[in-house]
Amino acid sequence: MLIERLIEALGADAVKTSPEDLACYSFDAYSQGVLPSAVVLPTSAAQVSAVVKIARDLEEPLIARGSGTGLCGGATPLRAGVVLSFARMNQLLELDIENRRARVAPGLVNLQLSERIASTGYFYAPDPASQRASTIGGNIGTNAGGPHCLAYGTTVNHVLALEIVDERGECFTTAVEDLGYDLTALLVGSEGTLGIVTSAWVRLLRMPSTTGVWLAAFQSIESASEAVSAIVGAGIVPTALEMMDATIVRAVESAYAAGYPADAAAVLLVESSGEPEEVASADAAIARIARAHGATKWQAATSADQREALWRGRKGAAGAVGRIAPNYYTQDVCVPRTRLPEMLAAVDDAARKHGIVVGNVFHAGDGNLHPLLLYDKRDARQVAAVIEIGNLVLARAVELGGTISGEHGVGIEKRNGMSMVYSTEDLAAMACVRDVFDPQALLNPEKIFPSGISCREMRA
Amino acid sequence: MNDTAISDALAEASASRHPVTLRAGGVFSGMHRRVIDADEIDLRSRRAIFEYEPRDLTIAVECGLTGAQMEQTLREHRQFLPLDAPDASQASVGGILASAWSGPRRHRYGRPRDLLIGSSFALSDGTLARAGGMVVKNVAGYDLSRLFVGSMGTLAVLLRANFKTLPLPESARMFLAALPAGTRERAFAQVRNLRPEPAAAWWITGYEREVDGEPGDDGRIAILLECENALLERATLDWRATLGRAGIPETRLLDAGAHASFTRMLDAPMRLPGVHALSYRSPSLPSHALALADSLAEVVDRFEMQRDLLVDIMNGDVTIRAIGDAASFNQMSGMLDDALHDRAPRARILAGGGDGHDRLDCFGLLPNALAQMRALKARFDPHGILNPGIAFFDGRHT
Ligand SMILES: Cc1cc2nc3c(=O)[nH]c(=O)nc-3n(C[C@H](O)[C@H](O)[C@H](O)COP(=O)(O)OP(=O)(O)OC[C@H]3O[C@@H](n4cnc5c(N)ncnc54)[C@H](O)[C@@H]3O)c2cc1C
Repeated sequence: MLIERLIEALGADAVKTSPEDLACYSFDAYSQGVLPSAVVLPTSAAQVSAVVKIARDLEEPLIARGSGTGLCGGATPLRAGVVLSFARMNQLLELDIENRRARVAPGLVNLQLSERIASTGYFYAPDPASQRASTIGGNIGTNAGGPHCLAYGTTVNHVLALEIVDERGECFTTAVEDLGYDLTALLVGSEGTLGIVTSAWVRLLRMPSTTGVWLAAFQSIESASEAVSAIVGAGIVPTALEMMDATIVRAVESAYAAGYPADAAAVLLVESSGEPEEVASADAAIARIARAHGATKWQAATSADQREALWRGRKGAAGAVGRIAPNYYTQDVCVPRTRLPEMLAAVDDAARKHGIVVGNVFHAGDGNLHPLLLYDKRDARQVAAVIEIGNLVLARAVELGGTISGEHGVGIEKRNGMSMVYSTEDLAAMACVRDVFDPQALLNPEKIFPSGISCREMRA
Repeated sequence: MNDTAISDALAEASASRHPVTLRAGGVFSGMHRRVIDADEIDLRSRRAIFEYEPRDLTIAVECGLTGAQMEQTLREHRQFLPLDAPDASQASVGGILASAWSGPRRHRYGRPRDLLIGSSFALSDGTLARAGGMVVKNVAGYDLSRLFVGSMGTLAVLLRANFKTLPLPESARMFLAALPAGTRERAFAQVRNLRPEPAAAWWITGYEREVDGEPGDDGRIAILLECENALLERATLDWRATLGRAGIPETRLLDAGAHASFTRMLDAPMRLPGVHALSYRSPSLPSHALALADSLAEVVDRFEMQRDLLVDIMNGDVTIRAIGDAASFNQMSGMLDDALHDRAPRARILAGGGDGHDRLDCFGLLPNALAQMRALKARFDPHGILNPGIAFFDGRHT
């Protein structure tokens, strides 16, 4: 029945049902779920709406999916349902350079937007390290960050307006300029549980006149992280401030020869952009702080190629780690920036105690850590250790005044962690929002909320 | 009132179905309707700074703190938060957020909501809850803090707001220039393309008593440069050369007076000379802003009222003030309101209107997601006790 109706609405070519096809949509970069009942490839908001109405009739869950690069199980089906893939809704719909904005379909791959408008002198700022693959719809789903979010902010700061298909299959729009509640901000980061994004207006920024990229090498990860706290503490906010530890540096060097000093215990990648005078003074000030914290090297990229190479190493770090370990697990927590050294020490301590190798590659300037825990999933002891370390890291981040996810989202992975940061009342308030938008809980069900949380009725 | 007292007051109000209204600075009260018959919860004394670790570039404050107090606290540590509120000595953080105020520097630094990273709040039944935290990136759960932005106090009582702060630019310089005839469009385009990008820029006619600058045949512009010391003189040369190419021979610079001048620009839209006046602001795309300004000016001229105009060159907002005379203003204000909304459906009243204020369309075009907003309102405030009548959620406004 479901399949027939979907085919009737979208055409056979847009409905995938073979087990091989379904298998491709049963996982994301974090987890393996169950096979969905069907995968649909809509080409318009009207088709999305038709799919939602059919699924609702048949009480089938609806899982919106970008590229499946999510790291928390957000796009993973948990009890069959219809997966909506936006692979065919991937257009740059309107470009309005005069007003510095663009309207995009949700399936447009992040990097393609900036690449396609490069000749105009503008760019789209949010740049998750997955930007070659992840989609703007998925980025909106998770409120994705990225290296350059230090200066430019995360996805929510760059979405101006949204077109949404709601759980009844009706379309509505929101805009930051709208009167009333800021639904745009609410929907960004809601992981497909409040509505399905069918297009978005996003902000474009003018390319800076000058960009400088530097590499600083340190003999210990503590001194590198103290340098980061000191840079931000001195009121310097570069465009990007990324850290990699020795494990990552060695993996990256052997994979890409990015030009990182292979003997460094930690490397900072710093980018500053703006007018030449601003970039020069950032160079001087940051170099001074780095040296004061024991940097053994402060090296500027002197050409576009060198800049590119330094960034290629950072953005390809996850891939490089894939070459040195059978499996790795990426944790994502965020702490106040002055607490970075303590947080890193806690990660190191936990990993050491459990005999697990850890690689740190992360958005240091934002206090957003990504310990990569290297393991072999065939070894039950290692699997248990990784889970244990992951939990210790979450707990320590919360103790330090931080949060359980800086940018990857909650999805399935961190549902239970939500109670570490929020009280039952806090979560119930969120559940009330969910209830308003999706009373039947058909939109990406069983994500974000720990079990037992519901929108309790107001007291009075 | 502390959190517990507010929670108790709300629980009681909710149980007795008795409406409450939130009293803060009152700066934005012209932007919504008056609340009828409600007990007041006074938030003005709630001005504590909870947590401020300058080295983290984050701050948590009580929502009664004023924009001016915030600015002063941060300035001591060479930081700032571009709240850009009018009447900053009165405007409270809660009021700024609840009215979704956003100022002329938002294209560069973001709106207040962009820098909001967490909050705590009291729900209509008195439940105390919070969202977000003190970190600059956080995707754990829904962004309820930002949901309350623009809520006009109808969804919850904001108690505390956490922000990320920004390093204060070393220098600020205001550029003022009279525009010779026929230069306005070119000047507008050139200002938008200046490098470094202006922190704020306006095209102005009128407002002669409120803001700086000599009027020219084509109005005048005011542009704020915020940058590092090292860049100041080179940027000034470049800007002057660019403006020169747009046909503007002279620009006057304010250094020591830049901050005061900027503050006057922020205050101007809320300034009314007496009660027979109205001030509106309409969002617009920068590319349409001048045409919209002209169109609104034409409307006010038709009513033979005095007018002042302020166009935010970087963001497109058009602010217009109409000043009538005692004899006819009350009679004409309704027609003026209709006529302005014909041209600028999204225009909102900022201030004025006198006794007739609540008969005017103070909100302009309602949002497309009205049904969703109403459903949220019904869920979060089932008895409609929070600021009843103030907004457009209760169905009075169609
Ligand atoms: C190597 C690697 C590096 C990464 N680096 C970063 C990084 O730097 N920063 C960062 O933030 N993340 C990073 N990620 C995580 C991931 O790429 C992001 O979460 C990204 O936003 C997911 O986009 P996607 O298109 O793959 O979405 P998916 O994984 O398919 O979906 C993500 C979530 O969005 C929802 N969703 C998708 N489309 C829609 C829609 N149209 N409407 C409503 N909801 C929708 C899904 O239901 C799901 O909950 C990285 C991942 C990998 C594998």
